This record gives sequence, C-alpha cells and structure tokens, in this order.
Amino acid sequence: MVPAGRVVRADRAVPAGRVVRSGRPDATRRRRRPRGDLGTAICFLLPSLCGLLAFLILPLLASLLLSFSNWQIIGSPSFVGFSNYVTLFTRDPVFWEVFGNTLLYTAEYLVLNIVISVTMAVWIGSLSWGRRLFRVIFFLPVFTPLVGSALVWLLIFMPGGMLENVSAMLRVPIPNLVTNSHLAIQAVIIASLWSHFGYNLLLFSAALESIEGSYLDAAAVDGANGWQRFWRIRLPLISPALFFGTVLTAISGLQVFDQVYALTRGGPGSASSTLGYAIYTQGFVSYRLGNASAIAWVLFLIIMLLTALQLRLQRRWVHYDL
Amino acid sequence: MTSEVIGRSAARRVWQVLLQVGIVPLALLFLFPFFWMLSNALRSDAEVFASPPRLLPHVFLWGNFVQAWRYLPFGRFFFNSFVVATAITAIVLVVSSLAGYAFARIRFRGRGSLFVVYLATLMVPQSVIVIPLFLMMSWLGWVNTYQALIIPMAFSSFGTFLLRQFFLGIPPELEEAAMLEGASRLRILLSIFLPLSTSALGLLAQFTFIAQWNSFLWPLIVVQGPEHATIPLGLTLFQGQQGTQWNYMMAGAAISMVPGLLLTGLLHRYIFKGIAIGSGFGGR
Amino acid sequence: MTKTLRLLSAMLLVAGSFLAHGAACAEQVKLTWFMWSGSTADVEAWQHVASLVTEKYPDIAVEFQTASWMDYWTKLPALAAAGQLPDIISLQSMRAPGFADLMLPLDARIKADNFDIRAFDPSIIQGLQKNGHQFALPYDFGPWVMFYNYDWFTKAGVALPRPGWTADDFVRAAKALTHDGKFGTAVPVPDAFMAFATSSGAHFLNDQGQPDLTNPGMKAAFANYVALATTEKVAPVYPSSGTISSLIANGRFTAGDIAMYVDGPWQLLNIRKKASFKVGVAPLPVRQAGSITLSAGSGFGIAITSRHPEQAWKAIQVLTGPDAERFLASAGRAFAARTAYQVYWYDTAAKDVEGAHEALSAALKNARPYVTSPNWNTVASLFEQYAPVAFAGSQPPDKLLETIQSLATQ
Repeated sequence: MVPAGRVVRADRAVPAGRVVRSGRPDATRRRRRPRGDLGTAICFLLPSLCGLLAFLILPLLASLLLSFSNWQIIGSPSFVGFSNYVTLFTRDPVFWEVFGNTLLYTAEYLVLNIVISVTMAVWIGSLSWGRRLFRVIFFLPVFTPLVGSALVWLLIFMPGGMLENVSAMLRVPIPNLVTNSHLAIQAVIIASLWSHFGYNLLLFSAALESIEGSYLDAAAVDGANGWQRFWRIRLPLISPALFFGTVLTAISGLQVFDQVYALTRGGPGSASSTLGYAIYTQGFVSYRLGNASAIAWVLFLIIMLLTALQLRLQRRWVHYDL
Repeated sequence: MTSEVIGRSAARRVWQVLLQVGIVPLALLFLFPFFWMLSNALRSDAEVFASPPRLLPHVFLWGNFVQAWRYLPFGRFFFNSFVVATAITAIVLVVSSLAGYAFARIRFRGRGSLFVVYLATLMVPQSVIVIPLFLMMSWLGWVNTYQALIIPMAFSSFGTFLLRQFFLGIPPELEEAAMLEGASRLRILLSIFLPLSTSALGLLAQFTFIAQWNSFLWPLIVVQGPEHATIPLGLTLFQGQQGTQWNYMMAGAAISMVPGLLLTGLLHRYIFKGIAIGSGFGGR
Repeated sequence: MTKTLRLLSAMLLVAGSFLAHGAACAEQVKLTWFMWSGSTADVEAWQHVASLVTEKYPDIAVEFQTASWMDYWTKLPALAAAGQLPDIISLQSMRAPGFADLMLPLDARIKADNFDIRAFDPSIIQGLQKNGHQFALPYDFGPWVMFYNYDWFTKAGVALPRPGWTADDFVRAAKALTHDGKFGTAVPVPDAFMAFATSSGAHFLNDQGQPDLTNPGMKAAFANYVALATTEKVAPVYPSSGTISSLIANGRFTAGDIAMYVDGPWQLLNIRKKASFKVGVAPLPVRQAGSITLSAGSGFGIAITSRHPEQAWKAIQVLTGPDAERFLASAGRAFAARTAYQVYWYDTAAKDVEGAHEALSAALKNARPYVTSPNWNTVASLFEQYAPVAFAGSQPPDKLLETIQSLATQ
C-alpha cells in the first residue's frame, strides 16, 4: 500500500530509541577488546560442530550424491548422472503437479498465516481484558501433534462429516474439501493454519508489546488515525519480527509433510502431494532412493533461492535501527 | 474541538467494546476442533460416522480413554515420546549454550563465516536429509533404537543462534570483572551467563520439547512397531488393519496434548519475554 | 568370620543361580517374528500363538514384533536394508511376488521332513509361492465375499442376496437401499475392484505377469465400478487418506451407513463385534464371466538373513499347526488355511450370520487365487491414492488407469 520509501521517512520522524535490542550485536562486540582464543572456541564449539557435520552437512552432501544414483535400497547403487533429474523434469507424470502444489501451498499458507497472525496480534493487543487468555487459546493447537490435529480436521472434512452437515443445515453448498481434486490442498492449508499460526501470533504480539507507547502517542498528536499508525509506525517497527516470521514460515511451508500424510496422503491422486511428501513416498514406500534424493535437492534449492531472495528484499522493508 | 474529541473517544470506546465482544465467538469457533476431538473421543465407534452427527455423544464413554490406553500400548508411546523429547532438549540446551557463548563472546578467526554456516543450516529441511540419515542409522545398526530417535535430531543450530542473540545482550562488564578474578570461560558461562538467561533457556527448552514431542517424519522412518513408537506415530497406528478407531484416536490426540500444556503452564512467563529475542534474526 | 563366610556363600549362591540361568538362556534360541496387527487384542492372540512354539519346543522362544498393516509393507525393505530382518516374516499372498526375495524357499525342508502340505487349501499354498518355490506356510485365506446388513435389507423389503444373484440384482438392491445420505454399497480398491473386474472377465496382469491395467476389459470394468459412485450414486465418494478404502467401507458398514460391501472373511469377527445389526454374507453377484471371486491369504516364512533357520522352520510349523489353527479359527481371527479346521471358524465367527456357510462354499468353488505382480504393493497404494479422483468425477476413469499404469511401471 504505502511505498517503501515513505515508510522509511515516517520511521525517521519517530524519536530514536532501541526497540529490538537483541538485533544489535555490534555495539557490544566493538566494545570488547579482541581476544584470539581459538583453542577455547574450538572446545566450546566442538559438540555442536560435530553434530552438525555428522547429522546435517554430511547427510546433505550424501543426499546430493545419492541423487545421481539409481539405488533401490536392496542391491547396489550405480551412477546414473543427471538421469533422475531428467526423468523428474521431463517424464514423471506427476512431478510438476507436485511442484506446483508445493508452491501454491507455501504462497497461500505464508500470506494467510502472516495476515491472520498480524491481525490477531493487533486485535488481541488492543483488548482491555483477557489478552493473555486469548493468546493462549490461539496458541493451544501448537501442543497437539500436527498428525493429531490433521486427523481431527479429517474427521470434520470427511464425507458425511461435520462440515457436510453444517453445509446441509445452512443450505450453503460447501464442496467437500478432501474428495475434491481442486480443493484438497485447501484442506491441508486450513489444518496447517489452525495448527501453527499461534507461533507467529506470539512472535508478533511480543514485538508489538515492545513498541514504546511514546511513538504512538507522538503520532496521535500529529493527527495520524489508527489505520495510518498501523501502516506507518507499528508495521515498520515490528518489521524485524515480521521478517523472521516470514522466513521461518516459508521454510516450514515448503517442507510440509505431517499434515499431508495424516490428512490426504497426497490425494486424491496427487492433488495435495507436496515435494516433502513425494520424498517420503519415493524414498520409503517405493524405495527409489535416487529419485527421492533428486526431489530432495530440488526442494533444497527452492528453499535456498527463496531465502536468498528474502534476505535481499529485507533491505527494502526491514528496519532494525530506528 | 472538545466535542469532537469526545465524539471521537466515544466512537473509539464503541469500537473497543466491539473488538472485545467480537473475539469471543471467534475464539469459540477456533476451539471447535478441540471440542470435536473430545466429543468424538467420548462416543462409541459406531457413533463417529452416524449421520446426522450429534454434537455430543449419546452416552459419554469416559472409559474410551482407558480403552485407548489399552488398545495400543499408549503408555509405552507416552514414555518413549517423553524420553526422546527430554533427552533431545537436554542435549540441545548444553550444546547450544556452549556454542552460543563461543559465538557471542569468544573472538576467533573465521567466527563470522562459521556463524553464517550455522545460520545457513537452518535452511536445511529435515525431509532433504532423512534418506542418508536413515542409511547411516542402518549402518550403525541403530534402526529401531532410542539413540536413533535422539542423537541425529539433537543438533539444530537454532538454539545456538537464539542463545547467542541473548548472550550478546548481557553487559560485558559482568564478565570482565569475573575474568580479572581469573575465572575460566566455562565458569563464566555457568555462573554468569546461564543464570541471567533463564528466560531464553526456558523458551528454547519449551520449543525444543514441543517440537520433538510432535515430531513425526523421523520416527516414522526410523521406528517400526510400538516398542519405540512415539505419540504422533502411535496416533497413526490406530489406523490398523482392523479399521480406524476414531474414538480411541481422538482420545489419544487429547492425551498427547497434556505434557505441552503442563510445560507451558510451568514456563509460560518465559515464552513471552523470550520470543522477542528471536525476532533479531538476520538483523546483524 | 562366620559373617564373612555367610556373605561369601550367599554371593556364590547368587552367582551360581545366575550361571545356571545363563546356561538355560544360552540353550534357548530367541527368534523374532514380524507381523501386522491392528489392536492389542490382535497382538494378544498372536502372542498366544507364539507361546505355543515354546510349549512345543522349550529351546525356542518367539518374540513378537508388530506394525500396522500399511506400515508393515513399508518397513520390510527398510529392515532388510538395515540388516534387521526378523527371523520369521509374515507374508500375504498378494505381496508374495514382491517380498518373497527376502525369504528362504521352504521346498527342501518340506520334502526332507515329509511335511504334509495337502492339509492346506491348495489355492493359498499356490498363493505363497514364487517361481514354483514355496516361501511361506499359510495360516488363513479366503475369498472376497459380499457382506450385507440383514436388518436393513429386511426392513426395506429388498430381497436378500443369495448365491446366483446377478449384477442387475445388485444394482437394483443398492438403488433401493440408497437414501438420505446412506448408501447401498461402497467401492473400495484395489482388491474388491480386482474381484469385480475378474467377474467381468477382465485380466489385470499380462502374460509376463506385469500389471496391465489399461486393456479394454479393465477400462470397461473400471468405468462400471466408478459409475456406482458417479452416475448410479449408490456408493459414497471417499477421500484418499491414511485409512485404506476397504477400512473406510468397513467403518461405514458397521456404523450402518452402507448396506453391503465386499471384503474378506477375516473381517467377519471384527464386523460382528462392532455392528449392532444382524450381518449376512453372500457370494459376489454374477457378471459376464460368472460369480468369480479372488482368494488370498497369509502365512509365515523364514527370512533369508535368519541365523536360526532350523529353529524358524520348526516355529512356523507350530504357528500354522493344528493347535494354532484351532485357536485362531475359534477366536474368529482366521478362516483356517488348514481345511479341516475351517469348521471352528464357522462355529464361532460365523455363528448367527445369515448365509455364511452357503456363501463361503459357493465363493470358494468359484474363487481364483489372487495372482499379482512383484510391484503389487505400489499398485495397491497407487489405487488407494488415485481411484478417489475418479469416484469424485474429477477425471475420467480410463485416464486414471493410464496414470496408475505409467506410475506403477515407471
């Protein structure tokens, strides 16, 4: 709505002060005198370094290697070059559908999640009563394993289930989400949003609460209405939290698995199958490890690209020092 | 001027009341799946798909919770989940404190680039590495063991990042005084940093525990049978060969929420304080 | 002094008992047995059967391990890769072509021990073979039959399904019984559909034993099957979910939402336990090729990696032996593969079930062994995943068969 440049100007007009303290390590770092302490550092870092190398970086590289093989778990693998990727991109009858589903899911989930959690954070923050109560209520689903909450939603969406009966009662034709090829992914999105927007709600609530009242008071004196104050002051002030939430939500959205497994098993057909789910079925149901690893690397590349893009774009809209 | 202000504040008060009243039905609607979960947990199997469905069970079968516990070794799942989530949380706390301190306070060559590598590993999704991880577990002979459930999942760099951010905010003067007295780095970490970081540690503990309690993909791959199954895996076991036991499954889902709720009851004052720390991500 | 002596002797005693215990353990061979199961009642029954082994051979202990039906087949290759296959593997006849490679052929042992294989139903003995070799001894089998809600049929005044009833009778009954969100029948896949197709005269495997789902016969059969949900509207559409379609049908049948559906006799006890109505059983309706049904079953074999194949061979003989069969059949857990023990199943599980004896005998007469391809587990899961698209009318049935075929043979 508001051009980025104007947001910045509006920010600059606000009295300076520290909002997101933790985002500014440099101040403390500069004050400390340098201490070349490699030995101690290695001791402190050793456990986490070993763990990351053994259980993250090594498997990541191994996965790349596997994607050039045709291993079927039993028997021995042989090198097949790029043929897994070529098959995926040119011959696999469902890969592009799965790819599209993943992007659609992530985009829709991300936008809805951020919009809903910001709205709810502002809404709950404006309440004079029961702020903590409502935050806890909307955070509750986080405690249920995703599999569990997806199964509850399945029970609601099932043919003959709750939703169909509500639609019959209200005489509003609501198509069945889980049997419809075009809508199955929406069922997954609803279950995911319900389960996990509480995280971002808490994150944004915390960020909003840390805004000092003086900014808003100053703006109110300047004659800004609630809407303007939201877009020009609050939103820019919580932009680091927004950025953090966006990046993590996008990454978790791209690898969605549990809900798909429990709710639709990627179906009907492959209408709600995602890359994360395809890795599982190719890898651990059909045991085409090479093929599955190729899908895994496609997913990884997408995540890297998207995160790089977000890091680049953040310079335009995220404000750390005000 | 004054009447305008009064008018405006009256409008604001109406708006305020609307917001306060409006959120109640929204929250109730939001809670419906929980209601539905409990309502189905308490009815007979045949009633789950009876049409038209009833909001409340015909007869409240409280015994279903006991039945669910007996139908599958749910006590075992509960125990397994608890052991795994607790062990991972403990390891994460120790490992992340050490590494977070190193990144926050110890200067060494390559710190910046190493930290970028750590940050970058946050992008690696579990689904990308599970295949090699599974093969690794096979070679180690760890398939279907607790160590397979625990060790590979205990080294996320998220904790390192979170604690580093928090440690950076601790005034260096405290540490310098201790150093002058000849305290070792480890001593400083244990006696100064950790006691000052309870909110961050509480947040990390809670999030790690809940994430691991709910974790599904890895147990699905590395566990077979109920012996080492965790709760989320156990929930899917209700879809056995003999027909899905929806009522028991819902009872199980309800039971599975309990530890997370308890933990949050214990640690809730840390969550809100700590969560703002995370928002410094990328703000270097 | 005496104190020390007493302590010493006590320690010796303890050590001695440990040693004796250790010796006993060393003599006893521990076998692992992997089997699917759906409930603790299942597990208890199987554990009882396992205990029969130790009763007969005190030097063998069988440790029972279990997974749900769907997970079982996913876990086996993973276990094989991890070098953790159990000593005793449970095998279902439809999965025999795909999983027999993990198991030892039993032919030599059967011959050497003069094991009487003729006590079993020949079709299931054949079902657990691959390339002419026997890979497992069967404990149960059975033909797919039609289960129906006796009370519903009589209340609606619809003629009960009887041996010799036709496809037209079936559709007419289904239509008469469909009303108000309740359905005459259900359309589970793939097994009930493969029986439907076989009755219609279609073949789902080619001469090389590979899936051939796109021949004209199969396309026509699938179109007719899908029409039950799309045009006749006598069967509900269902989502693709973690629950396999036959279990969804089973659940809705026992809840009284579906009047009849096709499943195997192994479901009868479970159905009767859950259903609050009188249950009836009939053979499949007569189609172009007759009332042909498929029969399948399961059994136990020895893993190729087992370090105790001799003991495992003894154990599977007990697991499928007369005592185990009598127990499983009486408990209604299995329609016994040993033909002499089927009477126990009729007397318990099928007690008070309308037409059970008549229907089973008729179905067995017209049953063909359910012969499948090595990748049948993949074919089955593809059917579970893709068939709902056709039932919902989102894509034409023949196009879906093409998708399944191309994904199965990828």
